[in-house]
Amino acid sequence: MESANLIEGLLSQLTPERLLRDVRATGEGVRVAVVDSGIEWTVLAERARQRGVELLPVQGAVFRPQGTPLPYTGRQSSPHGTTVADIIVTLAPRVQLYSADVFAWGGGTSLETVLAALQYALDVWQVKIINLSLGIVEQRLQPGPRRWQLLQMIEQAYYRDVLVVAAAHNDHPFTRSYPAAFAPPLLSVDKGVFADPLQVVYRLHEQVEFQAHGRGYLGPYATEPATSWAAAHLTGIAARLLSLKPDLKPFEVKTLLYWLSRNRNPATSPHGTTPTKSTD
Amino acid sequence: MSETILVVDDEESVRRTFAEWLSALGPTVTVISVGDAESALRVASERPVDLAILDWNLGSGSDGLQLLEDLVEFQPELTAILVTGFAHQATPLQALRMGVRDYLDKNTDLTRESFLAAVQRQLARLRPLKRQRELQRSLAAFRTAVEQIVPYLQGAAVWQDPVPVPQAARDLLRLALRITAATDGVLLVHVRPSSGVAAEERLTLYPVEGDPTTITEVAFRHTLAATALSQQEPLVLTEAPSTPPDAFCLLPPEKQRRNLLIAPLVIDTETAGALELFDKATGTFSQEDVAVVRATAELGADLLRRSRAERHSQRLLIDALAAALQATQQVQDLIPDDRPPPEVLEHIKKGLEQTAAPQEDPAVVVQLLEEIRTLARHHGTPAVEYCVHVIRHLRPLLDNCWGRQ
Repeated sequence: MESANLIEGLLSQLTPERLLRDVRATGEGVRVAVVDSGIEWTVLAERARQRGVELLPVQGAVFRPQGTPLPYTGRQSSPHGTTVADIIVTLAPRVQLYSADVFAWGGGTSLETVLAALQYALDVWQVKIINLSLGIVEQRLQPGPRRWQLLQMIEQAYYRDVLVVAAAHNDHPFTRSYPAAFAPPLLSVDKGVFADPLQVVYRLHEQVEFQAHGRGYLGPYATEPATSWAAAHLTGIAARLLSLKPDLKPFEVKTLLYWLSRNRNPATSPHGTTPTKSTD
Repeated sequence: MSETILVVDDEESVRRTFAEWLSALGPTVTVISVGDAESALRVASERPVDLAILDWNLGSGSDGLQLLEDLVEFQPELTAILVTGFAHQATPLQALRMGVRDYLDKNTDLTRESFLAAVQRQLARLRPLKRQRELQRSLAAFRTAVEQIVPYLQGAAVWQDPVPVPQAARDLLRLALRITAATDGVLLVHVRPSSGVAAEERLTLYPVEGDPTTITEVAFRHTLAATALSQQEPLVLTEAPSTPPDAFCLLPPEKQRRNLLIAPLVIDTETAGALELFDKATGTFSQEDVAVVRATAELGADLLRRSRAERHSQRLLIDALAAALQATQQVQDLIPDDRPPPEVLEHIKKGLEQTAAPQEDPAVVVQLLEEIRTLARHHGTPAVEYCVHVIRHLRPLLDNCWGRQ
């Protein structure tokens, strides 16, 4: 009886606040791939330095639809990736970032390029988290086998204990975007606006399970709520949790986030019946 | 391939006999028989003649060689067989120059077999030459046509903007401005060659009115448009963008704006862009505005894609034509000159040996004749006249040198 009380007592002290704000929750030892438009290293490092933080040098590669990836030169293809990386290191400054630039060739990217980057992140960098602040809309995944290729890759990550964080489409739920719509094996994220950037809400709605803070900190557009920034926030939160217990599996991280959501936001419904919080 | 043989003889019986013999050559050979020089010239002026069989003595004071000289005016490539009863009267040098390739002596060797053998020998010789000439003519016509069209196409297409922005794209921009109540806008096009060479990148702004501007001071990777592209969704800035950090740059039209809406345009693997709207007159850009601009941008991208595809097709056409032009030159270079066959040259040389003065080397004379004939064919009679003029002046010069009168 006494031991039961002791456990309950210990558990009662394990609060979401303590967990999220633990001084060891820095992202230390967690490898994170940012599959995006590259990272402008000097800008990122300088901003961190101004906050009194020394970042680990970003590593990375530039991907093409075919052929071996090109070396990362510390540059961005567009500012988007740098804004995403800035959010992650703001929340988890000790993560080891890997920049997978998939936008270096032409204006957009392709499924083949994204798949090449994901495979590289799994095999070569052996990351623990993959941040995908991008999505591919359904019509660009036709015919069916293309969609299946992407699902296979996401499942491969899941079975290798790699957490994939994928942004929902900004038009969600009117526009579905992949891989976010493959919700079970990954963390799918919609945007919300919260006072606390460590806030995360479980709100299942049209195959998207979580909401995170949708405002960034770097760039003239970062203050506009977007799912890209929400995904980066959830990646930062997951990195913090993983630095406390690195062997957590994706479903355990998801359960932990669900628990955090319920205990920090008792009013939110786990069943998705509550209207979506302010997104714009 | 069919051939036309013109028989000119003032004797009706001879013409009939020749026509009967020539009918053995089959339906591909057309035989036209006439009795005088005038009729022969009329035929030559009206239709192509491949081989002329001419009687040396045509009566009325004209001879076959004189007729041939006139016929050549109409048909410079004409080949002839001279039928004569006076072989010794023939002037081999002149005859060769005029295109006579064989002699038939009425008094000695003129039989059906020898006649047909001589005709077939000449037909066999002229067929490949005729094919070559026709090919040359076709090539020349083709080259002329291509040479005329290539500069036009190059002037029209190659040196223009690699991404032609059709008027329709600007109209689309105007439409987006009207629907969203934005006060200004710009179409941005970025070309990044697949080579990946940064120096070859090109960033161009197309305003609603006026000429496009090429931006060189801002790298595309630092622009808001690049972010919209990597986000693959329209980017809305509801507040005036402040002075951006190093990772970002505002393009000239984006500065001093109250709000912005930037929709990405993905054209192809080398080309992308953005439709940028500025300063909505009433408040900030709404989700409805975003939806409208997204659809407009997709339409704009399609327009630009088609326009670029057309430009690509034009370039391919120009390249193909230029390659064809090059190829025709090579083919022309490969086609051999229609020199008389060695046996004919040998025949003429023998004639010369019999008639020419002992100090003249027949081989050299034949060589000179050939050169003059080639000169005539390539550059016409004036060139030959000039050549004769040079030779005439050469003689007194040499006489003077050697002290001869």
